[in-house]
Amino acid sequence: MSSPDERRVSDPLDLEAPPGQARAFTAEDEEESSAHGGPAADAQGRGRDDSEKLDQYLLRRYHLYGDRSAREQLITMYLPLVRSLARRYASRGEQFDDLVQVGAIGLIKAIDRFDLSRGVELTTYATPNIVGEIKRYFRDKGWSVRVPRGLQELNIRLNKVIDELVPKLQRSPTINELAVAANATPEQVLEALETSQAYNSVSLQASPNGEGGEEDAGLIDYLGGEEEAYDTMEDRTTLAPGFAKLDKRERYILHLRFFEGLTQSQIAERVGISQMHVSRLIRRSLEKLREEIGELDNPQIMRPSGDYPR
Amino acid sequence: MAERIDLEVPATRDALSTVRMVLGGLGARLDFSLDDLEDLYLATGEMLRTALDADALDRLSVKVLIDDGVLRFTAGTFRSAKLRADVSTHAEDCLDLCMLLRTTVDDVLIEDEGGAYRVVLVKRRKVGLA
Repeated sequence: MSSPDERRVSDPLDLEAPPGQARAFTAEDEEESSAHGGPAADAQGRGRDDSEKLDQYLLRRYHLYGDRSAREQLITMYLPLVRSLARRYASRGEQFDDLVQVGAIGLIKAIDRFDLSRGVELTTYATPNIVGEIKRYFRDKGWSVRVPRGLQELNIRLNKVIDELVPKLQRSPTINELAVAANATPEQVLEALETSQAYNSVSLQASPNGEGGEEDAGLIDYLGGEEEAYDTMEDRTTLAPGFAKLDKRERYILHLRFFEGLTQSQIAERVGISQMHVSRLIRRSLEKLREEIGELDNPQIMRPSGDYPR
Repeated sequence: MAERIDLEVPATRDALSTVRMVLGGLGARLDFSLDDLEDLYLATGEMLRTALDADALDRLSVKVLIDDGVLRFTAGTFRSAKLRADVSTHAEDCLDLCMLLRTTVDDVLIEDEGGAYRVVLVKRRKVGLA
């Protein structure tokens, strides 16, 4: 397919040339424009005119001429917006990259359904589409069993409350303390904690703050020098198929809990994730080990047989 | 004041969540920390899952006793030699059930009863908590 530049020569409509210096819409643009009343409010004087012209040019190329490369270019240009919107939902237990993928579907739908005659900007039309797809994803996929909304919200609130109370109290909080801080009853707290098991685990590839993104490091990057010791350990885990099923971080967290004797709160602080996340990871790791034991029926399968960092 | 709860649940994994909720309620009453509760969940969950895999049981009998900052969890009765060995034998540098239990609870006991036995897990409230 010919490029927009090549086709401009024979363009039967009076399309503007693509602004050569136009830049893509960035997350910073989105955040700043949100704070100033919307995408259109801060467009003047910031190079956004060119960007909008490029939007219109590419949208026309795609909708009037079926230029797929223009569509691809629009998707690429607006992925930072998708990332920015996805980041707002990244602390709710879903993998950031998954949210970006889902948000990108919303973006593509917005581009495909965009009506040139309506005279609105693509950002105005795309933003609710992207957010809508992300919210739908949470509604459909976030919880593996149906959990009442009130409990879901309490669970999310507890996650934050625990993270706030541990450094404040210098110890793990009690259920009663959590109840007071979360404005709930102890029974509700217990029920919400129980429902957290129905919540899909956050990926271990997620960044420590539960968010993620290209610029964010994964948990493994926060293991620092200790990671090197795992290279040796990993070589030796061929002797332990059960542990070999776990990734480095899962082994690391099990090691901290059962060989170093750290509590879940201490592990959370050490690794930089929430206590509830640590809890889910430990349970998931043990489940993996149990499955492996069941498959191989080998009582020695749980032997880590490695040199753990001291 | 001591309080005792007896439960008899189907010997299925689904029933373990019922046991967990009871433990949570009693642990909260003892003012266990969240870390201690999580340890208790892990210990009881792993032991009971191993028991369900190792023993052909129809029903599972669970007794929970709380008194003066101590929670005593008793489950049984079991006949599996494998479970008994897994609970009480620890291999060096090995994350087996025995090590998991000893890391997460304060005491692990076996009470013989005729030709069978019960497993007892004891968890104490940490000093410094109310």
